[in-house]
Amino acid sequence: MPAATARAQPLEAIAGFAALLREHGLKVGIAEQRAMVRTALALPLCGAGPAGPGWSERRISAAWRAVACHDLRDWRRWPELFERYWHPERLKGTVKVSGQTRPSRDLREVVQQLQHALAGGTGQPPRPGAAAPDAALDERGGPDDAPGLPRAQGGASRTEALHDRSLTMWLPQDLAQLERLAERIAARLRRRLTRRWHDDVHGRRLDLRRTLRASLRTGGVPVQPAWRTPRRERPRLFILVDVSRSMQTHAQLFLRIARAFVQAAGARVFVFHTRLAEVTPLLQRDSAAVQDKVNAVTAGFGGGTRIATSLADFVGVHARAQLGRSARVWVLSDGFDADEPHLLAEQLLRVRRRGARITWFHPNPARPASAAMQACDGLVERFVPLHRLRDLALALPLLH
Amino acid sequence: MMPADEQALREQLETAGYIADEDLATTLWLAGELQRPLLLEGDAGVGKTALATALAQAQGRRLVRLQCHEGLDLSQAAYEWNYGRQLLAIRLAETGSERMREADLFGRDYLLQRPLLQALLSEQPCVLLIDEVDRADEAFEAFLLEMLADHQITVPELGTLHARHVPQVLLTSNGTRELSDALRRRCLYHHLDYPTLAREMAIVKRTLPQIESALVEQAVAFVQRLRREDLDKVPGVAETLDWVRALHRLQFKALPEDPQGLMQTLGCLLKTRDDRFQLGAERVRQLIEGRRSAGVAEKAAA
Repeated sequence: MPAATARAQPLEAIAGFAALLREHGLKVGIAEQRAMVRTALALPLCGAGPAGPGWSERRISAAWRAVACHDLRDWRRWPELFERYWHPERLKGTVKVSGQTRPSRDLREVVQQLQHALAGGTGQPPRPGAAAPDAALDERGGPDDAPGLPRAQGGASRTEALHDRSLTMWLPQDLAQLERLAERIAARLRRRLTRRWHDDVHGRRLDLRRTLRASLRTGGVPVQPAWRTPRRERPRLFILVDVSRSMQTHAQLFLRIARAFVQAAGARVFVFHTRLAEVTPLLQRDSAAVQDKVNAVTAGFGGGTRIATSLADFVGVHARAQLGRSARVWVLSDGFDADEPHLLAEQLLRVRRRGARITWFHPNPARPASAAMQACDGLVERFVPLHRLRDLALALPLLH
Repeated sequence: MMPADEQALREQLETAGYIADEDLATTLWLAGELQRPLLLEGDAGVGKTALATALAQAQGRRLVRLQCHEGLDLSQAAYEWNYGRQLLAIRLAETGSERMREADLFGRDYLLQRPLLQALLSEQPCVLLIDEVDRADEAFEAFLLEMLADHQITVPELGTLHARHVPQVLLTSNGTRELSDALRRRCLYHHLDYPTLAREMAIVKRTLPQIESALVEQAVAFVQRLRREDLDKVPGVAETLDWVRALHRLQFKALPEDPQGLMQTLGCLLKTRDDRFQLGAERVRQLIEGRRSAGVAEKAAA
């Protein structure tokens, strides 16, 4: 077999795996792909190791995991993705869409071929610092340049993008995407200048008191001036989630969205239907029991939705001291209110008078048209449909 | 000394008192082979810092530790000019006849080496632990990039200082802040989880060999069950060790049937008021007996 052909196969298999990882959101670029090849060469394959015949493969999996994963989300997804590509036959519950057969992949074989080809058939795997694997990758022109490169076939279902699916049909694995989006939105929330100052080596105002104090160490010569800069703070984010009967299908995901913002932007989250309760402490932890606890909090509430009453409680009690010009209030509700229609506008006006901005997210594509909502024109800064995740992505430039 | 393979490293770590699983040993060995920093994430108390200490001990290297905190700057982390000494030199030069050049004032003699520079300029290879990097500011994280990628630090007055020996760098993070992608991509990554029952028992027996096996096994099994509870602060390995030590000092040979005797010691495991409140005597009794929840299962068992 010509050397070039022997070289291309294992590299293609690894490139295919890298492509699968990329498709599932892992940040695997050319540098990571090279590191994976170097890793495969650094770990000499031997027969059954101390922990059985799968030992070598487990070592490679552990090593590649360290290279390709960059955070906990990636880390947790790794075992499934690894199995999906290298051992699709072990996956249960997958649906075969066509009768097309897939080329089988054997990781041990791939690595052996790679080591053999790059060691020039001497059987001695080159040391990891050797230039050979990098050169081999360069020869291929990188994984993204190669036309017709196999793209993540091995058992990988091309998952439908959450973007276009209705949010009532979300799956737990979509949450990672949601969390990333929340982080991006949180990063965009414009920091406001405050009147307070804090120490900063790159600041422009001299902190005379600290400079003089520090100069005592150097005989009164101020060799180490201290500088200050004005403090900038993120806006305070309040998220009010409607958990009434009419919102039943959306409430769970809306709470997940709210939770993503608790973690990304330190938001305070309230749930309401006939009364209002704060659930921020429950959302701060990544616990499976969160939903049960939120249900327990709202269990005693009567039927119906009293948005105006809940808002009055929010403005008057819970957020009284924190509602200022830097506050953002996001209401996630369909707008059906059992209170008198004019009351909602009154309460929203109270929020606006404090300087806070209100954004209303509604679960249906159309803007809420209930009697209470019709009176709120001009008080709500922005209505944002939250029917699909794409809606949240589209709202990204507007939320600041 | 660098081990030949990950098995050898695992054994070395075990000799140093750290019981690593296969995956961790492979990653750690690979980090040394590829000369890449290793970013360790995981809850507090799972043994991230202990790993660095054990690694240094296992390889007979010096451990250089940089504890990160908010406001950490270059003068605390990398280097600082010894201003006092510089001033003294200037005064001495003024009184004496010797003429002083500016370049003399910015020589190595006047440079105070902080942990990062110490690790780079160390005569012998060393282990550099950058602990709780998520507590440092983003600006400091950006500074780390040069050091981690090229193993060098640029001092404007002196030029670029290259590493004599590439240190084995371990960064730990508790996830209080999201680290930048740039930093993450320069590191290998490993998430340290709470140890399995067998591994935790091995860790406790290794660290506290004088304590009765029965007590260790029951206490570790209890902690493992406790971790499945919905707690604010899940106890780590360090807490298990503290608790087993406390039980030993209180002359326990095994976990008692009556949970009242244990309640005073639970402060070693439960660190928040909510957790203490949640775990009453009855729940502790259920955990000792190995039951997950009260109710039908309890009646059936009785």
